[in-house]
Amino acid sequence: MFLTRSEYDRGVNTFSPEGRLFQVEYAIEAIKLGSTAIGISTSEGVVLAAEKRITSVLMEPSSIKKIVEIDKHIGCAASGLIADSRILTDRARVECANHWFTYDEKMDIESVAQAVSNLAIQFGDSDEESAMSRPFGVAMLFAGMDSKGPQLFHLDPSGTYTQFDAKAIGSGSEGAQQSLQEVYHDSMTLKEAINHVLTILKQVMEEKLNSTNVELCTVSPDKMYHLYSKEELEAELAKVSSIHDPSRPDVAVIGEP
Amino acid sequence: MFSDYSAPPMWQNGPALGKYYDFPNVSTNKISHNSTNGKQRYHTPLTTGTSVIGLVFNGGVILAADTAGYYGSMMRFNDCPRIFQVNKYTILGAGNDYADIQYLNDIIKQKILDDDLHNDGIALKPKSLHSWLTRVLYNRRSQFDPLWINAFVAGMQNGEPFLGTVDKLGTAYEDKILSFGFGTHISVPYLRQEREKNPNMTKEEAIACIKTCMDMLYVRDARSGAKYNIGVISNEGSEVQGPFESVGHWNIATHGTPGQE
Amino acid sequence: MALVTKQILDTPIQHHFSPYSDNGGTTVAVAGPDYAIIASDTRLSAGYSIYTREQSKLFTLSETTVLGSSGCWCDILSLTRIIEARMQMYLHEHNKVMSTTSLAKMISIMMYGKRFFPYYTSTIIAGLDPEGKGCVYSYDPIGHTERANFRAGGSSGALLQALLDNQLGFKNQENVDKTPVSLEKAITVVKDAFTAAAERDIYTGDGVHLCAITKDGIKEFNFELRKD
Repeated sequence: MFLTRSEYDRGVNTFSPEGRLFQVEYAIEAIKLGSTAIGISTSEGVVLAAEKRITSVLMEPSSIKKIVEIDKHIGCAASGLIADSRILTDRARVECANHWFTYDEKMDIESVAQAVSNLAIQFGDSDEESAMSRPFGVAMLFAGMDSKGPQLFHLDPSGTYTQFDAKAIGSGSEGAQQSLQEVYHDSMTLKEAINHVLTILKQVMEEKLNSTNVELCTVSPDKMYHLYSKEELEAELAKVSSIHDPSRPDVAVIGEP
Repeated sequence: MFSDYSAPPMWQNGPALGKYYDFPNVSTNKISHNSTNGKQRYHTPLTTGTSVIGLVFNGGVILAADTAGYYGSMMRFNDCPRIFQVNKYTILGAGNDYADIQYLNDIIKQKILDDDLHNDGIALKPKSLHSWLTRVLYNRRSQFDPLWINAFVAGMQNGEPFLGTVDKLGTAYEDKILSFGFGTHISVPYLRQEREKNPNMTKEEAIACIKTCMDMLYVRDARSGAKYNIGVISNEGSEVQGPFESVGHWNIATHGTPGQE
Repeated sequence: MALVTKQILDTPIQHHFSPYSDNGGTTVAVAGPDYAIIASDTRLSAGYSIYTREQSKLFTLSETTVLGSSGCWCDILSLTRIIEARMQMYLHEHNKVMSTTSLAKMISIMMYGKRFFPYYTSTIIAGLDPEGKGCVYSYDPIGHTERANFRAGGSSGALLQALLDNQLGFKNQENVDKTPVSLEKAITVVKDAFTAAAERDIYTGDGVHLCAITKDGIKEFNFELRKD
């Protein structure tokens, strides 16, 4: 498919006779190259974890941001073209601020996902009414607390947004999603969820998990959006590395590393 | 670019080049007397129509207005009908500036034509026309370019009589008795009294009441005319009757006021 | 006299156009611990003319919010219609009915949006907030808003606010039980307020339309006022 390019590759909004939009499908392929990000929604709150690829020892790890704050009550993890994600997170922030300004309330996560998806589908060849000349090459996870409780939404380059209990995006998403399906249950605590996302991330990452190549955030009723500091992260990672410790039966064991 | 440019006067208070002498208090060079210097968007009523009255009876509605067109205090035109049949459900009546009334009526006639061309059996209903008028008149007032009109919509909707009015600002309301102009002072008290005595008025009784009102208005309102039209609408359909003619006698002046005959 | 005649002859006759009219009317709203009531008179007038005796100035916007407004009637009609449209759009966009508190903020912004050609209205909304507590918000014509426990607005606003301060806010009373009044008591106070306003204010009268908002829904009441 990739080698036999056809004329349906030219226009981003031209359907192929099989009814496909190639550029959108390629964009979905593109996000499978991105670093892995995982989110789990529990009754106590939502957790997001994202891998950071440190490609050089000369690189400053803190300058890579995969998890960002949208509003006090919403966090967002991105995978794919992070430059594209900046446009979408900027829109999400503006929508949240505008919603608060107009309605004096926090914007629902679903509404944020919808607002961002409205921007994500505004790609096209024509100069007018297009936000982008191509689909946004990024997948996003929106985690937050709203009037309906903890929420996790996934947005892909086609502009489709879907609610999930647990979702993985990026290069390790296939294996991670499988693991999520095995461990997820309704009564999971936020603590357990943190452990799960780090454990799964550890399994799918090529690099060894440490406090510089991973980002972690939670959105909970008491703290709302909270991005873990290096110290807090190290404490969480210490628990993960002890998963084989028989003296810690409270920590779930998920497969072999 | 130089459109605002004008040469200075040749001497103090004298005429400028190419201009006439400006006599004190009577400007010949300035087009507008408006001191605000802004564009004067709104006009003032010129040819006017006086009272419109509306009355709901048992199973229908009546509107009435005379056909005189006044130019200030001069009775300039004799045949300015102000009651219009809109469709089989709806009648429109209007007072104040006659040019604006004709303009609005033309738009409504075109709307009805467009409506009929759909040939779907769906016609503009009175409440819809009333609401539409509200928006049109409010928008014009918001642009400081009002249609100087008091409009009355009478009709049948869902088997119920409807009577509503909209003024030049978009002020809209409904009632069983409505009026504009002198009718407010002359007809409404009489009609309220009659409706209180006889809440389930028949069409004939209501027409008699309205005719009495038009007779009273003819003698009391200096800007009224003898000829008038009546629009009647009920479940049987709508029609504009007339012109009728008031004869003008002062017996009517004391109508309903015992001891003053 | 001669001067007046000269002035009339010298100046062209100008029909001054004002986009505003004062159509009178009064609204009163009270917020209780688990209820809110809002009432308006039903007289619509301009100067010495009564347009109609049966025009309620209340607009039920949702199952938990009722708006009352008096002043320039054409502005009230336009404002409330746009509010209704905005609430419909909100419902479709966010899949929920706009709460009273959100509505309060939105109305403020809508009114300030016309800062330089304002809606000439005295507006009050009453309803239940997301916690189920009664709430009342009042507005000036350009969108200044304030949450209150009771508020009177319109042609008798200044007259009745003092009465409400005393009867519901227990102002200038000594040794009085300051627990919030019951729904029944609040309705009685509002009725008395309108009866009083109808005595002194020619722009208030004919009847009162009252809405009582509780978690069980909105109950409507009507009662008569003097008609002269």
